[in-house]
Amino acid sequence: MKIAVYWGCKIPTSQYAYEMSVRQVFPYFDVELFDLSGASCCGGPVRNVNSTAALYLGLRNLALAHKDNFAGLLVPCNECHFMISEAKYRVDNDEEMQRKMQALLSEENLEYSGDVKIWHVIDLLHDKIGVDAIKSKVKKVLKNLKFAAHPGCQIIRPSEIGRVDDSERPSKLENLIEALGAETIGYSEKLDCCGAALLYSHVDTALSLAGAKLKAIQSQGVDGLVDTCPYCHIMYDVKQNEALAMVGGKSTISVLYYTQLLGIALGIEHEKLGLHLNQNIDRKIMSK
Amino acid sequence: MSLIDLMTMAKPNRELREKLYSRLWRVHPDECFQCMRCTSGCTSLKLLELKPHEIILLASSGFIEELASSDIIWACASCLKCRERCPQKASPYDVIIALRNLAVEREAKIPEHYMKAVAQILDNGLTENVQTVTSRKMEPFDREKLRLPSIQYPDDRFKAVFMEILGG
Repeated sequence: MKIAVYWGCKIPTSQYAYEMSVRQVFPYFDVELFDLSGASCCGGPVRNVNSTAALYLGLRNLALAHKDNFAGLLVPCNECHFMISEAKYRVDNDEEMQRKMQALLSEENLEYSGDVKIWHVIDLLHDKIGVDAIKSKVKKVLKNLKFAAHPGCQIIRPSEIGRVDDSERPSKLENLIEALGAETIGYSEKLDCCGAALLYSHVDTALSLAGAKLKAIQSQGVDGLVDTCPYCHIMYDVKQNEALAMVGGKSTISVLYYTQLLGIALGIEHEKLGLHLNQNIDRKIMSK
Repeated sequence: MSLIDLMTMAKPNRELREKLYSRLWRVHPDECFQCMRCTSGCTSLKLLELKPHEIILLASSGFIEELASSDIIWACASCLKCRERCPQKASPYDVIIALRNLAVEREAKIPEHYMKAVAQILDNGLTENVQTVTSRKMEPFDREKLRLPSIQYPDDRFKAVFMEILGG
């Protein structure tokens, strides 16, 4: 399977471990990734200033995939996945807006086509590749490791536009973690938001939200938190010390992208998965 | 400014309400019956006292200027729970985004970060510049050192169209 990949802004400018691990793991499942040339922001921060401009940004990235004849676009960032899915839903159901956007896209010699399917890491692995295929490739079974899955917000809501997993009871990330031989926990804070969107306007609140979830997970005796979004990862890993300090938490907790965990189980060298870039990861995981 | 300060003796403005509604698509604030499912699950309720059902009631009542000038519309974390759970498609999230757009147009005080992001997009198409990060052992790494391919940024035609849309 050939698929275009849209990295967004956060991943290719600082969240290199996610990019490295995504690039490493998909070839194991015969998925060949091609970077979109000329990709722009998805519109995430721009929606707060000008929704029309945000819609255009989301759509033009789909149009770039169409221009290069790709039937699918992999969007590993939860926010980008929402913005691009929302843009597609809007123009697929609003002819007037579609005409307006097509006129703007034509100025860049681009054309929107409804045929490009949007994928996230979770549904590409879970629904297309499948849990059994993943199990069959595992070289190092992740025995005696227990994780909390953090699905994030924007890939599970709003369900009307078609999302990656169930909005209230998401379970695909857990299934993917368990496919590697590790255990997962059920916890009541699972749907809590990481707070990243508030980082630039209400920094203390943003850090408190992230810290509260980390503290709740720690009290359950897990080996780490697994996420799939660069924004969530920044809150839980890069800003972990500040976040835990806000809620009186002390010890640290390992935080990994799912594709890093999958890469470990596939037997890929740690350095190729960017594991040296995670700020919080303990020896128990690194010994695998 | 806080919403309560702004609401003292406020008078509804139905014209502005129509302007707000014209920005909404498949969102119906008038059909809200204050069930508070939005507020009960709101990420920003506990720490920032954001009450989405109040935002909807104030918007549908026509207190648009007050909402657009208040700090409270910037307290939303965009977690989308209110949009998912609203039984009436009143979607506080979408109303808040429309109010933020209106605040920008009316040159109200908005978080600086968002304007910076737009300026950065005009520069390289992305909201960020490529950064050097540090490993756990405090060693610096950039894309090249990590053997990641260079980024293929959008060209000037993109900037022209983006400017055109921002200019309205």
